Amino acid sequence: MAFCKSISRIWNQFFFTGFSGESLGLLRMYIGIGLLFFHTYQFATVLTLNPIGTMYYFVEPIWYFKLLGIQYHIPALSFAMYIILMGATVSMIAGKNTRTSILVIILCIFYLKGVRDSFSGDVHHRYIIPMQILFLFLLSKCGEVHSRDARQRHIHEGIQEWEASWPIKTMQLYVALFYFWSVIAKVRVSGWVWFAGEGRIQEVLIQRSVRWGVTDQGEVVKNGLSFELAQHPELIQFFGILVLAFELGFPLLLLIKSAKLRLAFIMGVTAFHISTFVLMDVNFLLIPFVYLIFFDLVPIHQWLKSRAWPLFRRGPSLTG
Amino acid sequence: MSKRTITLILVVYLTIIWAAVIFRIDYFPLTWVPMYSVYEPSDTISTSIKDKAAMKKGFRVTHHDGSISYVSYKDLNIPKPNFGRLYSAIIFGHDPPKHKQGNTSLGSVNRWIRGLDDNERNFSVDWEWRMFWTINKTLRLEPGDQKFITRIESSHQKRVYKKADLLKGDTRKVEIQTNKVVIDWQDQWVERWNHGLL
Repeated sequence: MAFCKSISRIWNQFFFTGFSGESLGLLRMYIGIGLLFFHTYQFATVLTLNPIGTMYYFVEPIWYFKLLGIQYHIPALSFAMYIILMGATVSMIAGKNTRTSILVIILCIFYLKGVRDSFSGDVHHRYIIPMQILFLFLLSKCGEVHSRDARQRHIHEGIQEWEASWPIKTMQLYVALFYFWSVIAKVRVSGWVWFAGEGRIQEVLIQRSVRWGVTDQGEVVKNGLSFELAQHPELIQFFGILVLAFELGFPLLLLIKSAKLRLAFIMGVTAFHISTFVLMDVNFLLIPFVYLIFFDLVPIHQWLKSRAWPLFRRGPSLTG
Repeated sequence: MSKRTITLILVVYLTIIWAAVIFRIDYFPLTWVPMYSVYEPSDTISTSIKDKAAMKKGFRVTHHDGSISYVSYKDLNIPKPNFGRLYSAIIFGHDPPKHKQGNTSLGSVNRWIRGLDDNERNFSVDWEWRMFWTINKTLRLEPGDQKFITRIESSHQKRVYKKADLLKGDTRKVEIQTNKVVIDWQDQWVERWNHGLL
């Protein structure tokens, strides 16, 4: 009984405290702004196609296309979906028909991601975290603060702490677990050798450095730094342990109260994604925008409003 | 929604996302995060040589009436990188990374729940049939047509290095391998035609 009570206390403490309605509303806005860039980056290849061109029959339709009987691509529809996606994202940022907008975003992502990943069967995982965040926004009351919905419907009561906290805390938990699970996957599939100095990291570094070819002088055309690094297994071993420590330790971030420490950790993770992009062509470059979920955006928003925003409005001074 | 309902939703949500990890479910938006998890030590490193001209020209195809033509990414109206994957991997029978991750080291419980025998693969795709179906269907060709494609050919080169040489910084010791593949239409596939991939 005492055990159940303490579980219940920890559960309530974790999921139902820590954030205000304003934090949730601002998070919706800022994540939405991040998504505008993310969508375009993710679906750019689909937008290079001829909208009135041939309808391609997929070689490996994604699972839900198989389920729904979608076998071919209608190019014009993808362009229309992209426009709807961007419109719905703007609508989500503004908080206009918020829940409907989020639902439309989710459906558009399912469609466009399905198209992109069905062309040749390469399924990408870059939308998994944003999709979980959108799903939690959908269930939450994020549209009731900092939104046109709130102004139009004259919602004044605000959101209680527990109502604002659980979606944000669940997002945090998901992201932390996402990194933790990736260690489990590596160990399950390849064993601890994955993290060795002469393991997977070294292999990817070499592969990605010679993939663009070699000059007549025997130097790699691109990614010379990756090539250099690959020749230092002891250094790679250090980075491998670092990857292991940060992925295994990511859930500990949930226990850190200090915003500065959190920021330091998140900057480390962001540096990790930038490095893997630069050195290994691992394309999770834009994913760090989701780390906004680890911060209370109220003070940041106030700072932007009072300090940064007036600078933009004033414009550059010609007189110095 | 009350606190109690939210608690229930959270319990169900957490159960589902953990079940996806335990049972290695990789169906968007569920995942067990297998990206880059597969490491199979090898003595060689090979990379495709990007032949832009060949890629632009596309697959060499033979039609039912004996004529020969080429099918490019523009004809199929798909992005270049995806065409590249079809051209240098799929037609050669090489699985996409997700299939490889799903097939590697599948434990006994995960084999059992999927009803797989010891050596049976989790993902097993007849890529040859798919290539004919995809290209012919996209070009609106049916098995009875004179222009129906009955042969698809692809050729691409790879640089193969010894890992040990690269680790010494030596990029000059390289073997250029030319891989060619010719796949032919099989008449028994006519029965599958109307069902497509579903």
